[in-house]
Amino acid sequence: SAAVPSKQILHSDDIEMEPETMETKSVTDYFSKFQMGTLLGAR
Amino acid sequence: GQVCEVHHYRMEASCLELALEGERLCKVGDYRAGVSFFEAAIQVGTEDLQILSAIYSQLGNAYFHLHDYNKAMEYHRHDLTLTRTIGDHLGEAKASGNLGNTLKVLGRFDDAVVCCQRHLDISRDQHDRVGEARALYNFGNVFHAKGKSICWSGVDPGEFPEEAMIALRRASEYYEANLSIVKELGDRAAQGRTYGNLGNTHYLLGNFRNAVVSHEQRLLIAKEFGDRSAERRAYCNLGNAYIFLGEFEVAAEHYKRTLQLARQLQDRAVEAQACYSLGNTYTLLQDYERAIDYHLKHLIIAQDLNDRIGEGRACWSLGNAYTALGNHDQAIHFAEKHLEISRETGDRSGELTARM
Repeated sequence: SAAVPSKQILHSDDIEMEPETMETKSVTDYFSKFQMGTLLGAR
Repeated sequence: GQVCEVHHYRMEASCLELALEGERLCKVGDYRAGVSFFEAAIQVGTEDLQILSAIYSQLGNAYFHLHDYNKAMEYHRHDLTLTRTIGDHLGEAKASGNLGNTLKVLGRFDDAVVCCQRHLDISRDQHDRVGEARALYNFGNVFHAKGKSICWSGVDPGEFPEEAMIALRRASEYYEANLSIVKELGDRAAQGRTYGNLGNTHYLLGNFRNAVVSHEQRLLIAKEFGDRSAERRAYCNLGNAYIFLGEFEVAAEHYKRTLQLARQLQDRAVEAQACYSLGNTYTLLQDYERAIDYHLKHLIIAQDLNDRIGEGRACWSLGNAYTALGNHDQAIHFAEKHLEISRETGDRSGELTARM
């Protein structure tokens, strides 16, 4: 039998995508920048 | 007054502690536990709207990683509303980007485009080149996904309906625009991601030579970072492109590297896919003994993983290869197995092929 046509062996689902880049917001960063002083002051 | 102040401090401290623990858990990849802490932090409450925004955003991202996209959308929406209300432009840009990515996964491409545009507009207004580049990458991904969603299965790349081709061409334009910025910024990691998806877009457009050029760049950058998952993806995508260029030997070499890396990374599903691709490639090369060897490897992993659809495909391929070798007993054995699995999985096209 002849070679299998390409369309039968590969389709668009077989391609490997790169990951999405999600934007991040960090409580740690915000807290260390703005809150530490305020909270310590409240004590 | 003093009691109220103390209560307020306790509330803030407790909300923060819970949120910080949620953040730590998400950082180590325990999103399920992270979600519990963030949700508890919201229950306690905070009057600091920046902290609330960070919690919403991270909850949205955690649900995104857990593939619960409706929950992800809900929290990114809350974050978007909040950042708009308090006039936090940078926060709004980020929330728009995350919501756009989530809507894309949900297949709501028109809504996703609106979010990407908002992300892009704010970034440009703020002269934020990093944000602008990220928005352009997201835009590319939305148009790529839109194009792919219109692609007919069973049709070769490059032969999709015009609507799909238009979306894919727009995706490549956004990726090119992104590349010009991330090159200027010297951000190699971002270049790597964009080259990967640009390569996939060229592939679907049927521009296989351009796909190879992009994936070669992606591979180079993956090696620079020692990113073996990205390297594996690049080898697999290169293999696919070489199949359509008719360079089956070269494709086989790339799939073999994919297989090696999949084994190193202990990713059984990818290992199975690489074996399947190698089996198909050796079928194209009419080297049926090797094709059978790889299809059998694929079959064993599919059985281990309880992947009945994969098992069915392996049986169908083995039936073909044994037919080509004139081994009719084995050919009939696998054809019957394929038919049985197709009936069980409700794979109509598989069942029809089997009957033929």
